[in-house]
Amino acid sequence: MKSYLGQYYSATQDPIEASILVFDKNIHVGYRDDTGKVITEVWELASIETSYQPSSQESIIRKLQERQISIQIAGNDASNYIKQLQEEIRKPWHKKANARIWTKNILVLTGVLAFFILLYFLIVPWLSEKLATTVSVNTEEQFGEAVYEGLNADATKDSAATMAVNEFFSRMDIPSAYRVRVSVVKGDIVNAFALPGGRIVIYDALLKQMETYPELAALLSHEFTHVNSKHATKSIFRKLGSKIFLSLLFGNLGSVTGVLADQADELKSLTYSRKLEKEADLEGLNLVMERKIDPRGFADLFRHLKAAAPVSGMPEFLASHPDTEKRIEYIREKAATAVVAEHESLRNIFEEIKQKINQ
Amino acid sequence: MIITTTSTVDGKPVQEYLGVINAQSIIGANIFKDILGGLRDVFGGRSKTYEGVLEQAKEDALRELSQKAQAMGANGILGVDLDFETVGGSGSMLMVIATGTAVRL
Repeated sequence: MKSYLGQYYSATQDPIEASILVFDKNIHVGYRDDTGKVITEVWELASIETSYQPSSQESIIRKLQERQISIQIAGNDASNYIKQLQEEIRKPWHKKANARIWTKNILVLTGVLAFFILLYFLIVPWLSEKLATTVSVNTEEQFGEAVYEGLNADATKDSAATMAVNEFFSRMDIPSAYRVRVSVVKGDIVNAFALPGGRIVIYDALLKQMETYPELAALLSHEFTHVNSKHATKSIFRKLGSKIFLSLLFGNLGSVTGVLADQADELKSLTYSRKLEKEADLEGLNLVMERKIDPRGFADLFRHLKAAAPVSGMPEFLASHPDTEKRIEYIREKAATAVVAEHESLRNIFEEIKQKINQ
Repeated sequence: MIITTTSTVDGKPVQEYLGVINAQSIIGANIFKDILGGLRDVFGGRSKTYEGVLEQAKEDALRELSQKAQAMGANGILGVDLDFETVGGSGSMLMVIATGTAVRL
């Protein structure tokens, strides 16, 4: 925008002093008429012509339709500026240039978005997992211990059953860098979980549901894989990584976009959780099959877990674990070639555990 | 129209004071500009995206100010002052207020 002072000439009146504002598409001419009334006229740039008179050193602006009306502005600046704007408007590729800029902007935007998506979905998780694998067993143990104490699980621990289950696990003879310690706690929840560093907690309600020793072997090998493959640590690092990334991107996660990003992130971490569960199932299955324990223990275990869980119509993508039917399906596929032997000692210990928890 | 931050104009005495006028322009940098601006904050350097937004806001405010002055029959605005503020929940929008005295020179 530029502004000028000039003279307004019309056929009927003497020249009047006027203020002229030149915008991108039009000019505003303001003046007072004979009666002192303020008048503002808008002249479209497309409907005026302008010239410079070297003799009087004035720029002259004239309306194409009413040629008797004109504005005179001292100096050639106004004339030059208006001509420049008019050229810009008249340029046949003026609209095309706009389209070009749009295409460019959209391309840049897509590029930036793709870069962030790549970062978010591949690079950040990959980096987080790399970092997680560098965490020492010792650190994991300390962390797991702290969580375990926070749970106050020892208060409801069934010592006799705990000893027996630990005996069961050591008879399974699974080598590991971790000191695996299983705790059986009293509780109505039909579940079990693993903490980083080797702590595995089993609720006795789940043990009560079990009927055969391969089920316990399946459960222990599943939870052991969570520990041995640092699943908990990896999840924590991944979550931390994407949280840091998102808060860098969206600033405060309290905002509307923040909430959206947070929820989407939650869904993504559930996908990862299901991936880890499947990994634990398959790795656990390998452990069981290597020891010639009946792999159908997995299928039985999942059935018991499903029977205990309240029937929810939740679709799989909203759940932390894969769908039970699917789990049974892929276990059955892998277990088709299993060679099974009877394990007397394991069965005896299992019977002992059953007795102890039913006391 | 003479728009100036000074209180007088050389060689043109003020004939009539028409009153104080002001115009404001509140402009939001869009979310992508915010993201780019955020990256600039992390890596350092001049943020051209935000500078562009600020320039646009200033231009809009001055344009509105001069239109108001013209509608009052003024041919000059003296003592123009530009104020820059951030508004909105997290200060994510920019506000430019232009104030001046409309005069007839």
